Amino acid sequence: MQISNLLIQFLFIVAAAPFAAGLVRFIKARFQGRKGASPFLAYVSLATLFKKEMVFPKASSWVFRVVPFVVLASSLCFAFLVPTIFHSGNLIFTSDFLVVAGVLMFGSIFLVLGGLDSGSAFGGMGASREMTIAALLEPTMIMVFAAFGLLSHSFTIDGMMVSGLISANPFLILSIVALVLLALGENARYPVDNPATHLELTMVHEAMILEYSGPFLAMLEYASAIKLTVFSFLICNFIFPGTLLDPAVGISGIAAGIILGIIKVIAVMALLALLESVIVKMRFYRINEFVSISFFVAFFGMAAAVLAKSMDFISNYYTFFVALTILFTVLIFGNLRTRPVLRYYIFSSLSIAGIAASLGFSEIQDAAHLFFFAAVTILVKVFGVPFLIKGMLKKYDKTNQAKTFLRPASSYLLAAIILVVAFFVTIRIPLVGGIAWVSILFASIALILMGTMKMVIMRNICSQIIGLLVLENGLALFTLVTVKTLPVVVELGIFAVTLISVFVLSKLSTHIRELYGSTDTEELRNLID
Amino acid sequence: MVIASIIFLFGALLPQFLKSEKNIRLSSVWIAVLGGLAVFNLSFPVLFFAEPAWSDSWWMIDSFSALMASLIAFVYMASMFVSYRYIGYEYRENILNVSQVKTYFSLISLFALSMLAVVFFNNTILVWLALESTTLFSTFLVGLYKKRTSVEAAWKYIILCSTGITLGFAGVLLANYAGHLLGDESNFSSMTFLTDNAGSLDPNILRWAFVFIFVGFGTKIGLVPMHTWLPDAHSKAPSPISALFSGVLLNVALYVVIRFKHIVDGSLGQPDWTNRFFLIFGLMSIVLPALAMLIQNNYKRALAYSSIEHMGLISLAVALSPLGLVAAFIHMIGHTFTKSALFFGAGEFLLKWKTTKIEKVKGAMKYAPYSSALFLLGVLAIIAVPPSVLFASEFILFSRMFFAHWPLAVFVLVMLSLVAFAMLRLSLMLVFGSEDGKKMKVEKWNITHTVMAVELAFVFSAPFFLTSPAGLAFVESLVKTVSY
Repeated sequence: MQISNLLIQFLFIVAAAPFAAGLVRFIKARFQGRKGASPFLAYVSLATLFKKEMVFPKASSWVFRVVPFVVLASSLCFAFLVPTIFHSGNLIFTSDFLVVAGVLMFGSIFLVLGGLDSGSAFGGMGASREMTIAALLEPTMIMVFAAFGLLSHSFTIDGMMVSGLISANPFLILSIVALVLLALGENARYPVDNPATHLELTMVHEAMILEYSGPFLAMLEYASAIKLTVFSFLICNFIFPGTLLDPAVGISGIAAGIILGIIKVIAVMALLALLESVIVKMRFYRINEFVSISFFVAFFGMAAAVLAKSMDFISNYYTFFVALTILFTVLIFGNLRTRPVLRYYIFSSLSIAGIAASLGFSEIQDAAHLFFFAAVTILVKVFGVPFLIKGMLKKYDKTNQAKTFLRPASSYLLAAIILVVAFFVTIRIPLVGGIAWVSILFASIALILMGTMKMVIMRNICSQIIGLLVLENGLALFTLVTVKTLPVVVELGIFAVTLISVFVLSKLSTHIRELYGSTDTEELRNLID
Repeated sequence: MVIASIIFLFGALLPQFLKSEKNIRLSSVWIAVLGGLAVFNLSFPVLFFAEPAWSDSWWMIDSFSALMASLIAFVYMASMFVSYRYIGYEYRENILNVSQVKTYFSLISLFALSMLAVVFFNNTILVWLALESTTLFSTFLVGLYKKRTSVEAAWKYIILCSTGITLGFAGVLLANYAGHLLGDESNFSSMTFLTDNAGSLDPNILRWAFVFIFVGFGTKIGLVPMHTWLPDAHSKAPSPISALFSGVLLNVALYVVIRFKHIVDGSLGQPDWTNRFFLIFGLMSIVLPALAMLIQNNYKRALAYSSIEHMGLISLAVALSPLGLVAAFIHMIGHTFTKSALFFGAGEFLLKWKTTKIEKVKGAMKYAPYSSALFLLGVLAIIAVPPSVLFASEFILFSRMFFAHWPLAVFVLVMLSLVAFAMLRLSLMLVFGSEDGKKMKVEKWNITHTVMAVELAFVFSAPFFLTSPAGLAFVESLVKTVSY
């Protein structure tokens, strides 16, 4: 029973893979306003390719002919090892993460060899790029699985998933994010590679398989579709480990598993298509930034896992969001350009909503109120306020760089000093005994201080507005910590005042720009005596 | 209460639907009179003890808030009458266009409404909200003329006051937290609850709360060194707005701080700790304007600095509480009437000579005899020449102060005489400035003069009532609402 179910899962992946690849193309086309080919077209084109004749480059050797078989075999093996619909039961040892990584690496090495062996310039170029990326992504993969492995005491991917860590360990969200970035890189999707073009300047994966034709090309494309599908299941199952079924179920269980599988494929492919529609491909020389971001995210996930393991450090979701809030506020503090600052403001407000929501999950009383607070925060501070400020920025886009009295490096130093000061203030003030969530109190004090300080050190009108908003965010946290419940009318009033004040400020700053032609507050010096 | 708010909201909406500028002004004045009378109808019975003070979880009227509401309503009506002439004149001179006139009359009534809300709300967080909205609604009144200087003044005003009031919010929250610890889940943020249970609130938390509230709302009061927005905003706003700012807005912010002082005193068990704040900041607020006024050549700025100085005096009087509060209340009333009259007068000069520089106003006594005479009278009242109300209050203040800290009292007296010298010098230079032979039309008696005359008549007649035994008893009963 168990073996047969595992075979069914394998067959499902193999059958669904072309559909998944077709689905991404289809949804992307819809996002771009085109009708798009049917997602089932992929099966037809694979079948057509299998019927076609093959052409081999003169320079190629036997390696060129072996490559498609090895690559397809590695993908199939990958599909077999990773638990997608069922967890492996007593075959759990098979999905050791080093084995899985090795299998994947085996496939990519042969792909690279195939690219080299074709003897064309493009193949070599693609191979060199692929190798660079693969080598850079390897540490991320190790870090991600090491974090999971450390907490679950298991080296197998199965074991990591089954122990359902994510709900208890919020910092593993970082590892998941790293895993998503890794999957994008491994599967040659945006922003690392563009699967849809054959442009010599940018292509990586397509350059390597450029010389293949007929059945061999079909095998290589099939292999990459399988890999994409398995990765999507991998991510889904890490986030929702509950959806993995026991392999010893009957017919109804199999049906449920397959339906769940289809839902997962559709959801992940839709998200991937959305992502690919909103971001652009990076220049090749910027890919190291992408990879280092993924590595550092994975690294922080790992570090948090080690801390949590050794001293019970971060064990609540709200603490995690508090850390995020502070992180984004520090980024606001040091950044000079208005648009990134606005983006970080949105993120920090989202984190505040996250704090409220996670408190709502953990506290039974007042839960409805906390969810309400989170919802209104998102509405006002993620959509309303940024909308108004963007409207203000639209008219004058030249003056994006804010003038300041401190360079970014020293601002970050100042932010660090503020954090230390906030820490001592937090432990000194007499409230701590009564307040349950000291970390939120710390964040609110830090935010109040940073907001005030931002207004002092920046000379730009926008930065002063942002400073005021950060200050206001700090007070929102302070409200959560001190009184928790306010009457709904009062709370809505506070949010309304925030919106109105941003409106007034942005309108006024438009006047200032019209009259002064700049947003430097040092220009506002007419009234001194 | 609801009726009054509806009238004010209607007053804010109506200008947006009217076409002609004349109709906007006329209707706004009538609605303002209506709204003012509605507020009087609410506040007078409580103020003169015909009805008892009452409160529920949202609203509260006691004699202190009734007094503040009456002052707000009066100055609001007065400045609407003056606006009728002032804005009309500037419209004819093409300084303002119709949409600016609309904005002006809409915002002024929202501004007055939010000030009234500050004194009538019982929920402390709503009080904070209302105080913040006074800033938001009045920003565009300060920046009404789209000129460099007025936009700059508006920017300073909103940034400083918003930051201050936002910090004050931290204090309000802390006070609420102290109330929350008592275990009452529904009422903890109401002013009356905090006042009634002040004795059992945690004094450590309230100390922190008071520091935030004092510094935060002190920005709005205009206490030195948080005053920097005040001279700019007062001098660049249209004169009726300056009168509202100086006459009532500062007092409204002070009202909130005094309310919280009362709560904190109750918790600490003695008023000395909070008195120290008022004493130090009050002293600074007297010294700096006294020096700044000596070098002024702008009459509206000089009046603004004088407002800071009077806020300093009131703070000093509060610092001598419980007894000094009597002086503080009388001073508050007197300052409201005198300073608004002075700003109305300054507006007349501004309209006629189109400048706020003193040396450019030529032949004021000849071409604007009524404004000049009334302005001079107002200046005499503001430097506390008897029988002005301010003389009465300062007399009481110094009689207390010589008891408490006599060296300080001497020092403050010296500073006050500096101020008096500077004010007299400036206003004499303004009124009797040399002529340059350019002929101007001699002004006629208009509505602004009537308003000023009424206010000054009150200023010079009130002391005869307020210093009588009955009057003192009246003030003392007012003081009882907030004295420890």
